[in-house]
Amino acid sequence: MLNGIAASRGIGIGSVCVIGETDLSYDKNKAKGVTEEKARFQKAVRDFKEETMAMAEDVRKRIGAKEAEILEGHLVMISDPSMAGEMEKMMETGQCAEAAVEAVCDMFIGMFSKMDDDMMRQRASDIGDIKVSLLKLLLGIEDVDIRHVAPGTVLVAKDLTPSMTSQIVKENVVGILTEVGGKTSHSAILARSLEIPAVLSVPNITELVKNKDTAIVDGTEGVVYINPEGDTLSAYIRKREDFIRKQSELQGFLGKETVTADGERVELFCNIGTPKDAAKAVECDGEGIGLFRTEFLFMDRSHMPTEEEQFAAYKQAVTTMGTRAVIIRTLDIGGDKDIPYLEMKKEENPFLGYRAVRYCLGNPESYRIQLRAILRASAFGKIKIMVPLVTCVEELRSVKRMVEEQKRALEKEGVAFDKEIEVGCMMETPAASLIADLLAKEADFFSIGTNDLTQYTMSVDRGNADVAYLYSTFQPSVLRSIKNIIEEGRKAGIPVGMCGEAAADPMMIPLLIAFGLTEFSVNPVLVLSARCTISKWSVKEARELAERVMALTTEEEIAALLKREMRE
Amino acid sequence: MVSQKIIVTNEQGMHMRPASVFSQAMSKYASSVKIQFNGTEYDAKSVMMLMSACIKCGAEIEIQCDGADEADALKEAINLVESGLGD
Repeated sequence: MLNGIAASRGIGIGSVCVIGETDLSYDKNKAKGVTEEKARFQKAVRDFKEETMAMAEDVRKRIGAKEAEILEGHLVMISDPSMAGEMEKMMETGQCAEAAVEAVCDMFIGMFSKMDDDMMRQRASDIGDIKVSLLKLLLGIEDVDIRHVAPGTVLVAKDLTPSMTSQIVKENVVGILTEVGGKTSHSAILARSLEIPAVLSVPNITELVKNKDTAIVDGTEGVVYINPEGDTLSAYIRKREDFIRKQSELQGFLGKETVTADGERVELFCNIGTPKDAAKAVECDGEGIGLFRTEFLFMDRSHMPTEEEQFAAYKQAVTTMGTRAVIIRTLDIGGDKDIPYLEMKKEENPFLGYRAVRYCLGNPESYRIQLRAILRASAFGKIKIMVPLVTCVEELRSVKRMVEEQKRALEKEGVAFDKEIEVGCMMETPAASLIADLLAKEADFFSIGTNDLTQYTMSVDRGNADVAYLYSTFQPSVLRSIKNIIEEGRKAGIPVGMCGEAAADPMMIPLLIAFGLTEFSVNPVLVLSARCTISKWSVKEARELAERVMALTTEEEIAALLKREMRE
Repeated sequence: MVSQKIIVTNEQGMHMRPASVFSQAMSKYASSVKIQFNGTEYDAKSVMMLMSACIKCGAEIEIQCDGADEADALKEAINLVESGLGD
């Protein structure tokens, strides 16, 4: 068994085809003359552009516009004066075309691969791809044609360049294995959009296999087997069938309403971290945004974002969602999220300290800017404001007062906003849970954050390995707390959502249905599986199970029962 | 020469697409267009140079245009950055 990075989910079993490295050596002193070298070079560039354009067009049709952009990027780069121009300058000093291409490309590769930015480092592999293509054209080397590999092939290569991956035919390739590349590399993105299982960064894989070997590619777990034993093979054949069956079952939930087995409608929203993710939520069939974290606007920079910057980000998210709701959580920093320019004091107990709404209310001049930006964006869709880490009614009141102030200011300036904008509480502290009835009278909605609620209820730092065993949403105390929040919200007639990881957990879902949760907010990729699980429970069955669960005494018993009864 | 400071606000910073939109727009001017960032000067007509600057969201850059059509060039450069560089 070999391990690598699980880059594209699914299981592929097939016959290996190793794509070897091409010999690109040449005689460095082969230059015939400046004019000749330049002419050879210009012809190679012309051919390169022609081939790349054709490939981009093909990829756009077969795979998608986003994937074709990678190749179009190659065209932009080779057309840049500092690429072709620099290469020609070198030829003018008597270098052959090959040496000029290699030197300039290597210079840029060196520059980009040193950058502390994942996407920028990708440019290094783009330039490497351009270099190889140009050298092949100059040396007259024909490319291996991946397009014509036999059906049932597992492609194995040191690295798959975009020009190679763009030739992959989904019908023939059942798996991809490489020695380099991570989750965000071109090969990974392409493999995912073609839905081909892929495991990347498997050490020495090109040397460990030979053509016609049988390989199992488990792209979900990041595991590879070469020439597996009969038992392993048959186990994986079953696994592959299960995976395919599950995938097609889940696809059947695309575009469907989220309803329980007995027809009770609930909302299924998404958690997002940047405005761009909203598109992902739409693509994954999310019915709204249950948690839009705004920290990204404040992190990795040197000063506070302006009102305009924030407004643009909120507006982008809300316009992407159309008429669907977007719940924006106001700044939740502190705890483990440090932002250097805010110069927050080092604290003995940051999770119990000056964070989230406490910090915001203590810095009203910055908080006002955020509220104003959110209000302005509310003119473009359905926005709700969510206050994190509420522990007492006064905090909610203070935020609502500030919202009203900003509304009046905007009204005076004649700026449009949603006058009916809702302000709700993120329920993530034992204090908020215990006064849920009081908060429910003044909040427009609740959203339960299970990660912090569990941590604070159990008084456990889940990053601390010695106590992490206590961190479980299935602790009776945490479940009682969740039940109480939902019931108090329902009593007061306000919607209650959940935006923690537990909302997508198939073990948790029946309990949430039983307690009366109205909105589940999950990671976009989990929308269909959550919708599927919800559809398998009637409210009556869920309540029966919840009754049994709530009568149990220990976490162990509860988790065991829920696991037995789980429906996926 | 005319110049102006501005903050890059598009989420991805000067990545492939924004950089290529910007460099292509600037290439049509006769004036030279440079970007000052982190104490280094970059040719804004070159997508490679722009990307090599590793300018991220929230970064402050100074755009300098020098030549016959410098005012127009600077105006378009600022507009482009403000509108998020087509991102």
